Amino acid sequence: MSTARRLEAGELELGGGLEVLVAAALEGMRAGARLEVITPSRSTALELPSWARAAGHEAVGERIPPGGPYAVKIERGPFARVLADALPGPGTAPQLRGSGELHTADLRSAQEVPAQVEAAAGFAPLGAVAERGAPAFRWSLNDRDALWADDVAELTEQASAAQWDASRDVPWEAVGGLPEFIERAVSQVMTFIAQNEYAALYVPAGFLADVNPAYPEMLMWLASHVHDEARHVEVFTKRSLIGGQPSYALASTELSLHTLLDERDFSGAALLLNVLGEGTFLDLLRFVEHHAPDAATRAAAALAHRDEVRHVHFGISHVRRRIATDPDQRAALIGAAERRAEKLTEMSGLSPLLTEGLTVMAAGSLQPAELASGAAAVRGLTETMEDNRIKRLRAAGFDHRDARHLSDLHTPNLM
Amino acid sequence: MSRAGAEVRVGAVAYHPRIVTIWEAFLGHFDREGVSTDYLLYSNYERLVEAVLDGDVEIGWNTNTAFLALEQRLGGEARILGMRDIDAQFATLIVTRRGEAFGEVGELAGKRLALGSRDSGHAAILPLHYLRDQGLDAASECELVRFDTDLGKHGDTGHSELRVICAVAEGSADAGALGEPTLAAFRADRVPAVADLEVVWRSPTYYHCNFTALPSLDGALAQRWQEALMSMSYDDEHMRHAMDLEGVKRWLPGDRAGYESLAAAMKEG
Repeated sequence: MSTARRLEAGELELGGGLEVLVAAALEGMRAGARLEVITPSRSTALELPSWARAAGHEAVGERIPPGGPYAVKIERGPFARVLADALPGPGTAPQLRGSGELHTADLRSAQEVPAQVEAAAGFAPLGAVAERGAPAFRWSLNDRDALWADDVAELTEQASAAQWDASRDVPWEAVGGLPEFIERAVSQVMTFIAQNEYAALYVPAGFLADVNPAYPEMLMWLASHVHDEARHVEVFTKRSLIGGQPSYALASTELSLHTLLDERDFSGAALLLNVLGEGTFLDLLRFVEHHAPDAATRAAAALAHRDEVRHVHFGISHVRRRIATDPDQRAALIGAAERRAEKLTEMSGLSPLLTEGLTVMAAGSLQPAELASGAAAVRGLTETMEDNRIKRLRAAGFDHRDARHLSDLHTPNLM
Repeated sequence: MSRAGAEVRVGAVAYHPRIVTIWEAFLGHFDREGVSTDYLLYSNYERLVEAVLDGDVEIGWNTNTAFLALEQRLGGEARILGMRDIDAQFATLIVTRRGEAFGEVGELAGKRLALGSRDSGHAAILPLHYLRDQGLDAASECELVRFDTDLGKHGDTGHSELRVICAVAEGSADAGALGEPTLAAFRADRVPAVADLEVVWRSPTYYHCNFTALPSLDGALAQRWQEALMSMSYDDEHMRHAMDLEGVKRWLPGDRAGYESLAAAMKEG
């Protein structure tokens, strides 16, 4: 029989910390090995056997002499406390950047992102060993290539660093005193943008809870995307309301956005929302920023634009990777755009209310000369949008012909 | 598959909602082991004993007092099919407030001794029996402070023992009796009342619950069911949670050796 290790309980009692000490000592011992706990408390000695049994061990001897000290010998039981493989030895910890920052992109150290993960897996953080016996989940997004962008972790990092506050970072006091027709135009444009930002929120939110927790970078990314869009809804709604001029949520916009939410393939949605929709919005937001009649509208458009750049970057990066790893995806993605376009055949162009609103914003006046130059600016915007859409599609891996085809299919609603 | 045609029906007392969780998991285990089993719940052990005797269930999951009641009705021929590891090494403790420990049990004479439900072997019947063995007739020499909650459940709920330790902690009793595992559970749950209590006395060990069947139960079926029970493993991820709820790490075949003291105590009345 092996000799027992000794553990001096000192003044510690069960329920007062001794159980932590004894459990830690037994945890490091093999089954059958013995631990002798020495305690000056008769009460503790009398309680230790039942504690040991409850913890899956066995009290195999005790000395309770008058006056103490007392000793209880515990044999370690055969059961693992956690139903899982033993924890691996210390691994390679993530490296800090030179500035002392710990970046999400560095969390996996040199480990590859797994190509496939278990659909039933639970919420085991990176590096954790999952215990058996947990209830099974049924995630539907379990393939890296169907989700991934090589810089998704870095984009998440940027999203965290670039947070802003729609209540305090916009000079709201700058709103006011505009002629009614301009304020009405601004309100209509703001409402239109906010309406579209809702869809930009619901699309990633719809995928977020389907993503396997083994891809935390992806979850962080989508959560940041959703959060960004919530702030965009907030800032453009606020800008519309603060001017006191109500405006319309247009049915044609709803029709377009409804079809965007119909797309249930992650890559298809990335193409339609991130590359095409938010990509086109980059030009719209830039236009609004440039022609804004007040500093608040300008700031709102500029701040939202900063976020949308990230979202568009993700879309391009994901689609490019998806097509590169699976060339059949090119046709599948074009198919997604074609299916959506078929549902939008009745849409002939941007709503006149919006075109007029943008024209008035750009004109800043109802004088013929200014209106003419405002109308020219809006025509210029349409051309810029189309040129840039094709450039983004080319960057996402489509050849010129497909890029032109996809750009032509894109919704007249812009998103 | 309906369980209406299960080979074995086990009766248990529903002293807590977790009993359903436990038995639903246990049924899965018996299915996997090829002995289709169902369970029936009763609100008290007296009714469970009758159910075993009437053949409404083949097996009763009995407390020690229920087992002995059944044993008496059967003339000592009840069949034990298994027990938990903790059932084979049960003990009762007596606690006092810190610093008020007594040396000999005789020092409890004239003091207020709190006991759990009067039908609980571990929290009422056996402490009186063992104290008498050691020279103290607590029923006449102490002021007994009884907490007869949940009668019919034989102390399973632990409510009466919680009242016992609260009474000692607040000073309305000088000492109190409760089961060893109950105090361990109170400690683990950081129940405030036990923080300033100390254990001053521990009874000899005795047996607690067991699975009991009539002697007429088919021997081969009894053996298959017992083997299935013994094969239940705490390392099985499908069973660990239910086994934790039942307070068992390992099932033992069980025997009669540890019921003598309670049998004597019940005769003493």
